[in-house]
Parts: sequence; structure tokens; C-alpha cells
Amino acid sequence: MSDVAKSSGGAAPGYALRTGLGPQALAGLALVAMPVGLLVTLTLWPTVRMVGATFSVDGHFSAERYFAFFNDAYTMANLRYTLEMGFVSAIAALSVSFGIALYLRFSAGRIATMIHGLSLFPLFVPSIIISYALVRFLGPNGLFQLMLEQVGFTQYRTPYLTPVGPFLAFVWENLPLPVLVLSAGLSQVSDHAVEAARDLGAKSPRILWEILLPQMRRSLLIAFALIFMGIIGAFTVPYMLGPPAPEMMSVFMQRTLGNLQDPASAQVQAVVLMVISSIVGGFYIATMVKSSAGAR
Amino acid sequence: MKRTPFGGLILLVSMGLAMLGPIVTVILWAFAVKWRYPHLLPTEWGMKYWFAMLGRETVMTPVLTSLALTSIATTAAALICWPAAYAFARLKFPGRQLLLFSFIAAQAVPKFALFVSIAVIFLKLGLVGNFWGVVLVQMLSAVLFMIWIPTAAFRGIPPALEEAAFDLGASRLRVFLFITLPQAMPALAASYVLAFVSILFEVDSALLIGAPTITTMPLLLMTLSSKVIVQEAAVLCVMIWVPCFALMMLSRRFMTARGIAQGFGA
Repeated sequence: MSDVAKSSGGAAPGYALRTGLGPQALAGLALVAMPVGLLVTLTLWPTVRMVGATFSVDGHFSAERYFAFFNDAYTMANLRYTLEMGFVSAIAALSVSFGIALYLRFSAGRIATMIHGLSLFPLFVPSIIISYALVRFLGPNGLFQLMLEQVGFTQYRTPYLTPVGPFLAFVWENLPLPVLVLSAGLSQVSDHAVEAARDLGAKSPRILWEILLPQMRRSLLIAFALIFMGIIGAFTVPYMLGPPAPEMMSVFMQRTLGNLQDPASAQVQAVVLMVISSIVGGFYIATMVKSSAGAR
Repeated sequence: MKRTPFGGLILLVSMGLAMLGPIVTVILWAFAVKWRYPHLLPTEWGMKYWFAMLGRETVMTPVLTSLALTSIATTAAALICWPAAYAFARLKFPGRQLLLFSFIAAQAVPKFALFVSIAVIFLKLGLVGNFWGVVLVQMLSAVLFMIWIPTAAFRGIPPALEEAAFDLGASRLRVFLFITLPQAMPALAASYVLAFVSILFEVDSALLIGAPTITTMPLLLMTLSSKVIVQEAAVLCVMIWVPCFALMMLSRRFMTARGIAQGFGA
């Protein structure tokens, strides 16, 4: 840390003049150089190189690997499954958290505090732990089944190794962010607006639809984009809980690279996933920029 | 929209079951010696499997490897990111906004796909299965926490105190060490804890860059989770996660909505 003092205080004024940068600017650039360098060598360069590599067949430019990707039925089934999982799980996570946030908005006391705490619990639980825990909880002869049988329900069918398994894990993992964002947003809707609407005879669903939801629109879109991107890139949850086929893209990539020893195809799969993610990411950044411009 | 306390109670119970049920199951398994279907709870309790696990080299080696990898990667990331965070918060330099934004944009890249691209390069360089190759990739995972939380913390420190010290003739270094750093310390510590835990449990880098020569704790957990003896994986989970959970609880006030959203790239 001492180079803050050295480089900013000690840079010769002549040098600073010649480069056109003041000592503070030089110190700033020097300090950020290392992490920026890490980002360039381990994110920017590998990504650019990979995109280039996927378009090069025997040293020539060719899109044939992408034709192969989009013409392979199994690959497309995996891609479709990944996107559907992302969409359905994100919508479910948002709906559940919206319910929780609504409850928290209109209630206080110890129960509300405990519900708030429970909804944030996943922040402290890594993917691998919750995946394993869900196998033990929801799996065959797991605690959930045992509990159901105690009350006489014996028809339990485990979601483990079906698409419902990863779906439940994704909803579980993705509650905290929308609960935090939505409760912050809902707390800004004034009680007066809600009471005024109620005085005019509006029922709860209508208040929800016409007062609360429109004000939450931006928060919901942003949360959706973040959760969706997280899910389509996930590996551990579908690997531990999901069915053998179809596979989510990361699991598919891992098998293509590791078991099938086919880095060329794995890279094409990675690029396709990156492109989809960056479209959602770009939409997300556009929403952020638009809203911060509107706020000004 | 008034709700009866009864409705709240139902919500609380179902939330409690859904959020805590899975973890409680693992904790029960870790201390169960005998738990056979259809008993609701273990019929015999004890630490038998703890002693068995602790004495086994195939268990302790991955755990120690993980701790070494994670400590080195997190510390190295802190050494390069914390000064950068200070620069982002306090110094004016060309490209500051753009570079800060690049750390956000990088988070939008799906990690597993990115690691595939790195694995292909590392394969050629002979860095796959190499300890330092894994360290390098894990540092990347730490950058997220190590730039954002400290930058926000340095920004949040009111400059008045620093300016007063400057006016009294203190050097920049002295001001930094005695005024700025102590105020930023809790946030720096929190960023360290959050990065440490997320790297410790990270599967992706270990699987794509470390395997097969380097077995980390999460990879061991994956192997154990498919074994017949349930207790082994459960013991490993409880043994590693509970201390991490305690550490994270201490850092929880830095896990705000903005912080998390920023972590994702807000």
C-alpha cells in the first residue's frame, strides 16, 4: 500500500508533464494495473481467442462447427433445456420472493423478522452444499419422504434426477437477491397510495396489479436478468441433482471436454452460452442505464 | 392487505421447512451412527464417522490442498485488488469509469464457459493439473468481492477527516495507515471472508483446471456424495461449512442488496 504515497508524491513533475498525466493519474493507473491485467489475460484474451478458434477449421475461416452445433438434435435439446430451466426457475424464484416481499412490506414483528432471515439464508450456503443437502432431504428415503410418511402420505415421488430437482435448487438459491431488491422497492411505495386506492374501493389484487407491480417493474426485470444468467451458466446444481439427459450446457461442456476429449466442440458450446448470456447482460445494463438516466 | 398472525405462522413454518430442512438433514446424518428407513430420526447417535474421516489420508489431503489453494489465491487477490479499490475510490485517472465497468462486465461472462476457454489454453501450457494454474484461476473468482466491497467502503469514508490530517502536515502514507485504513478494515475483512468461502467451495475451477491431479475438498464431496455410506459426505459438509457459516455471519452486513446486485454486476 505504501506505493500510494511513493508514486503519487514522488513522481517527478517533469515526467508527469511529458506524459500529460499528473502524479495522481499515474499512481491510479499503477495501482489498478495488476487486477486489470488479470482480467485481460484470464477473461478477455481467452474469450477472444476461443471465439477465433471456433471459427477456424484447418487454418481457414469456417462456421462449420456452428452448423454442426445447431444441426445436432441432442445439442439443441440441451440448449433448449438450459434456457427453459433458466426461464422457469427465474420466474418461480421471482414469484416466491415477490410473495415474501409483499408479506414483509405489510407486516412487522418477530415472525416477519424470522421470515426475512430465512429468505436470506441461501446467501451463506454454497451451491455444492445445498445440492448435496437437497439430495439427502428430497432424495429417495430422504427426510422429507420420512416426514410425509409419518402423516400417512406414502405416494412420494422424489424429484432427484428429474428436471424438478435442479429447478427446486435454483429457486432455493435465488431467493435472497429478489427478496432484498423487492422489499427495498416495496418500502418506497407509500402507505398513503395503498390506503387511498383501498378507500376508493380497490381490492388487494387490483392494488397489486396497478400500484405495486408497475413500480416494481424495473427491479423485477433486473432481478430476472441476473438470476437467468446465473442459472444458465450453473454447473454444480444440475450435475448433482439433474437427470443424465438432457444436460444443462455447463454439464454438457464438462463431459464434452473431459470425457469425450473434444475441446473444439466444448468451445463452440461455451461461445454459444456466452453469447446468450451477454445478450441478457446487455439488456440488463441497458435497463440500468435507462433508469439511472431517467432518475436524473 | 392485513394478514392474520395465523397466515404468517403458516408462511414461517413452510419457509422454515424449505430453507432449513435440507441443511438439518445433513447435520442429522453427520451425527447419525444408525439411521434406517422408515425411522424419522437416527436411532443411534455419535461421532463415529468424524473420527473415521479425520484419520483418513484420502480425506485430509484434499481438505488441506483446498485450504492451501484458497488461502494463497485469496491473499494474492487481496494484495492486488485492495490497492486498486483504493485507487478506484480516491484517485482520478483516465479510464477509471471504463476500467471499473470492465470488472462488472466480466461478471456477465458465464464462469464455467470462461473456464473452458482457459482450460484449453492451460492444456497447451501444461498448467492443467498444476497447483499454481488453479491458484491463478481462483484469483479471478475473488476479484468480484475484492474490488466491489472495498471500493464502496473507501468511497463511503468521509474525506473531511483525511483532509484535516493533511492540513496538519501528515504525509499521505501516514493518513492512509492511521485514518483511511482503520475505517475500511471491516469491509476489507468482509471481502476477504466472502472471497475465501466462495473459492473454497468452488467446483468449476477445480474440475476444469485442477483435475485429475489436484483433488480439492468440493471434488471429494462430489465423490463421497455418491457413496453408500451417507455419513462421510455429511461429516465433510458440516466440518467445513459450519466454520465458514460463522465467519460469513460476521460479514453479513456487507451483503446488502446493492452489494449483491453489484456483485452480479449492477
